Amino acid sequence: MNDFLQNNGFLIVTMVQQALLAMSLYYPLMCGQLSLASPGFYALGGYVAAIIGTIEYFAPWRDSLGWVIFPLEWLAAGIISGILALLVGIPALRLRGIYLALATIAFVEILRVICLNLTITGGAIGIFGVPQLFESRWSYIWTFGPLLILMLLFSYRLDCSRVGRAFKAIREDELAADAMGINPTRYKVLAFVIGAMLAGVVGAMSAPFLNTWNARQGTFDASIAYLAYVLIGGSRSMWGPLLGGALLAALPEILRPLKDSRLIINGLVLVFASIYMPQGIAGALGKLRDNVGRSFGFFRGGK
Amino acid sequence: MTVLLEAHQLSRYFGGLKAVNNVSFQVNDGEIFGLIGPNGAGKTTLFNLMTGLTPVSGGTLHYRGERLTGLPPYRIAGMGIGRTFQNIRLFKGLSALENVKVSQHVTTKSGLWGGVFCTPASRAEEKRVDEKAWELLHLIGLADRATELAANFSYGDQRRLEIGRALALEPQVLLLDEPAAGMNAAEKRGLTAFVREIRKEFKLTILLIEHHVPLVMNLCDRIAVLNFGELIAVGNPADVQKDPAVIEAYLGAE
Repeated sequence: MNDFLQNNGFLIVTMVQQALLAMSLYYPLMCGQLSLASPGFYALGGYVAAIIGTIEYFAPWRDSLGWVIFPLEWLAAGIISGILALLVGIPALRLRGIYLALATIAFVEILRVICLNLTITGGAIGIFGVPQLFESRWSYIWTFGPLLILMLLFSYRLDCSRVGRAFKAIREDELAADAMGINPTRYKVLAFVIGAMLAGVVGAMSAPFLNTWNARQGTFDASIAYLAYVLIGGSRSMWGPLLGGALLAALPEILRPLKDSRLIINGLVLVFASIYMPQGIAGALGKLRDNVGRSFGFFRGGK
Repeated sequence: MTVLLEAHQLSRYFGGLKAVNNVSFQVNDGEIFGLIGPNGAGKTTLFNLMTGLTPVSGGTLHYRGERLTGLPPYRIAGMGIGRTFQNIRLFKGLSALENVKVSQHVTTKSGLWGGVFCTPASRAEEKRVDEKAWELLHLIGLADRATELAANFSYGDQRRLEIGRALALEPQVLLLDEPAAGMNAAEKRGLTAFVREIRKEFKLTILLIEHHVPLVMNLCDRIAVLNFGELIAVGNPADVQKDPAVIEAYLGAE
């Protein structure tokens, strides 16, 4: 068991981490908004942690606070991401559909190029030797795991609360929601900020986990990968992004024995999944559950 | 009798088309005010102007002395003006119960943290929302199908659910856009009784767009007739029916 964790710890933690990033897309999607800005906030959060962890200015803090500096990094990353999301979200969320997706991709690119050229972010080389929170890769499950459970609880409660209902009403019909007294801009920005803060915190947890941080962390490729997570997993329930992120993060590793052809298989899985499971894995599982439930009801003589 | 809504020279132009042109009228507290006219007369556009969904090109609209023109739709809804849509716009992917809960938004105030952390205040509020939603579903006769998705309901039931959703706003004014469209004769008779019942129970003022003339004549206290965006007659049903301009608009001149 211990060997298994030592060998696969990195993969398991990565699955949880990617599931969390997929969930950061879920909140805007609850309002029907496709935002691909998460890699930008993920990169930003990582830089916040890497900078606090390495530069001279924070050295006395690090010495006196010990491990407490890490939760503070997460907090700082969350707050900074949230503020930036508010500034970006208010103008960007006037756009709809594919235009919002494009604008958020542009945001990720802008942030990437800025980080590539600033001194504080280490330019093209990035930041090396980010201090570690744990000795082994596997131990990082103790940061990502609780965050995932927390976010699942958060999503579950949100879904049946007043704010969650407003999100879903906007997703279903923004104009009708407006006419029913819901301020669409306000809730769309709120959902965007929640997603951004989550991505930022995940970034801040990831910088120590990966030991190094550079501009390649937040790219257009990552935007597309996260989009695939929610498409394959399903965007109608919180389980969709969780399953999509975890499974797609694991897929390349599972297919590793196939050597070069694994990329082809990886692509085929995406294509077939989107054809045969248009509601994603979570949607297909939900349908299966309903069907099984119905046939049991039939056998019991129910309706 | 007090004036509740006052439209003054309300206009909306789409390019060269005068969809609503210099329309002025008053709606009194507690009345059922019918809005009729041939297809394309501007009735729905007028409703959209009144609820803020379409910005006005000119003119003003006041509700209890407060100016509505220029306000966003959600503010107007928050002031107590609810509506239904001609081409039903329910939240189709949500259940009937959720549809009726959603529009209690303006009468509740639980925020993100209250909802997520389940604070006592938010829990009490959620209980009230739930009770009210069930009450309304019983009223519109859909309580036994509360958890079904709105998309699965028949046309007539969807129209009723839309009225239920608008009532959840606790409005003082209700705008009904062709509530009888697609209903059969029996359903139409039921609707007449239902509209009277909700006016009495919720002390509503109702504006109603309707094509079915007997229903309008029977139900409305006063009627306004629109033709090509212009208001050509306002008055009680008997007088409007005899008005030469109205006859001309519907049947053409002799």
